[in-house]
Amino acid sequence: MNSISAHAVIDLNNVTKTYASGELSVQALRGVTFSIQPGEYVAIMGPSGSGKSTLMNLLGALDRPTTGTYKLDGTDVASLNDNELAGIRLKKLGFIFQGFNLLARTSATKNVALPLFYAGLSPKLRNDAAIARLKEVGLGDRLTHKPNELSGGQQQRVAIARALVNDPAVLLADEPTGNLDTQTSEEIMALFEKLNAAGRTIIMVTHDEDVAHHAKRIVRVRDGLVVADELTNKRAVS
Amino acid sequence: MFQYITEALAVLLANRTRSFLTALGLIIGVMAVISIQVLGAGMSGAVSGVLGQFNDHSFILSVARQPNFIRATMSVRDIERVKANVPNVVDGMPVGGVPRVVTIGKKYARLIVGGASDERFATTPIQYGRNFTIDEIATGANVAILNDRAETKLNPDGANPVGQSVRIGDRRLVIVGVYQKPKTGIVPSFAFGDVLIPYTTYERQIARGFKYGQAQFFIADATRTQETEDAATAYLKSLKVKGVLYRTTDRKTLSGSIDSIFAVLTLVVALIGAVSLVVAGIGILNIMLVSVAERTREIGLRKAIGATRFQILAQFFIEALLLSAIGCAIGLVLGLGIGGLVNALLLVQISGVVAPIPWVRSVLIATGFATLVTLAFGTYPAYRAASLDPIEALRYE
Repeated sequence: MNSISAHAVIDLNNVTKTYASGELSVQALRGVTFSIQPGEYVAIMGPSGSGKSTLMNLLGALDRPTTGTYKLDGTDVASLNDNELAGIRLKKLGFIFQGFNLLARTSATKNVALPLFYAGLSPKLRNDAAIARLKEVGLGDRLTHKPNELSGGQQQRVAIARALVNDPAVLLADEPTGNLDTQTSEEIMALFEKLNAAGRTIIMVTHDEDVAHHAKRIVRVRDGLVVADELTNKRAVS
Repeated sequence: MFQYITEALAVLLANRTRSFLTALGLIIGVMAVISIQVLGAGMSGAVSGVLGQFNDHSFILSVARQPNFIRATMSVRDIERVKANVPNVVDGMPVGGVPRVVTIGKKYARLIVGGASDERFATTPIQYGRNFTIDEIATGANVAILNDRAETKLNPDGANPVGQSVRIGDRRLVIVGVYQKPKTGIVPSFAFGDVLIPYTTYERQIARGFKYGQAQFFIADATRTQETEDAATAYLKSLKVKGVLYRTTDRKTLSGSIDSIFAVLTLVVALIGAVSLVVAGIGILNIMLVSVAERTREIGLRKAIGATRFQILAQFFIEALLLSAIGCAIGLVLGLGIGGLVNALLLVQISGVVAPIPWVRSVLIATGFATLVTLAFGTYPAYRAASLDPIEALRYE
């Protein structure tokens, strides 16, 4: 167990997060401990107010824990400044959002290439990488389409290609199917499973049991604590 | 850096309408200021062109008011007495002309014949030949200078007519010079008439005993113009009946009144420029702030995928800079165009002087505007964008 833990891509140890607003302080996380190994596909579930959004923001290096340690691919996130956090997000994380968050009036290729702009790559390299990723998610024929010319499922695929373009250690998906119909959701889930099968580590936040059961492991959060951490039957299948 | 510019350009082009509206205030502001610059240069060119015809060693003395309503009250004798008795006055001549039939060869026309003095006091440039000599004035020689109007009427083939003889009434005179086509102007030329002859000749042969409303006096020391004018006026008053008023006009009083009009105009334009700068800047500030608010989720996304504070700051700042630069460039071109057009259609027609377009100043003003507006009004929205918390920004609806 120790040897596995040493290689964990995500390692949370007794993490708390307290939001202080005025005299009121809210403890959103009250001591969360779990780790995720490379290649895992984990769903984080919990009702609203459970602290799962806070957990997601911490995992996504958008925020720092109040106490406790969070190691992402070996780096202690709690000790980083804003610029270093941005660097971690750029190199190690890929975000997928419920609302896709694509740049309007901007082609699929340019959207996917965006993280590489901040990484300082040349336009040629950015373009090539973006096209490769779009082909990987099955949008090789939609390279120059703008978001408003794509269906919801296609838009989410563009967002997934963007999350993949910097070859991150972890894919973080926040309600990735929240804006999609059932059939499109299944397509996106199939894509996630394919990516996971290819070795991608995926963490998905959702409140939908059906969606969660596409993952191999479900971490349940309630009142700022992990209340359950279980493997699904998908684990056995793969 | 170059990548930021192309990225900013892509963002601006993706939002053409918003970009254009943002830049519009600046375009208009810069256009106004630049066109006024060009117009100002044109106007000072026009004034110098008009005043260039005004000899600064002379002044005009006019009868301004008289008690008995007789039009002209200065006789040649009065002028001679001023010449003899007022210090600094070296010469003087009546201003006036009479219509006469003038003939060269077989061509003739009814033209104004007037008097002129010697080359020291000449103001209109010579095209052919020369001005009158001091001797010709003193002796009342039978010589003449044609202006461009007389030349076109009497010598339409344009060959140099110097040396030919011209007939005025029954008198024959020798053409010694032809004036250039004068710059038409708001200030009348001192060359009164189409055919000019020495004023002495004019008095003796054409206008014996005439009286005049205006006289031109020539002075030795141009620094004492005002003093001499006052002395001449006082002297004339002492000769004449009570109630006659005289008015003097010289280059300085003319350019002085034009200068004061210009000073007011320049001040007004500077104020308009300052106001338009502020208004354009506030417009840009406002739209940039709206743009930051509107793009909050986008900024959140950019930060989430790894953009640093500085990268966001640089990106928005360069967007503002690019927008100002483009706006100012368009304003510069439009301003030069409008100013140049008005110059060409109006001022050049009046003065005949094509003033050089103040390129350097215009470009400096436009660049200054762009820099100033960006620094003053682009920094804050860029800072606001960079300071957004990615979590809040992503949640923004």
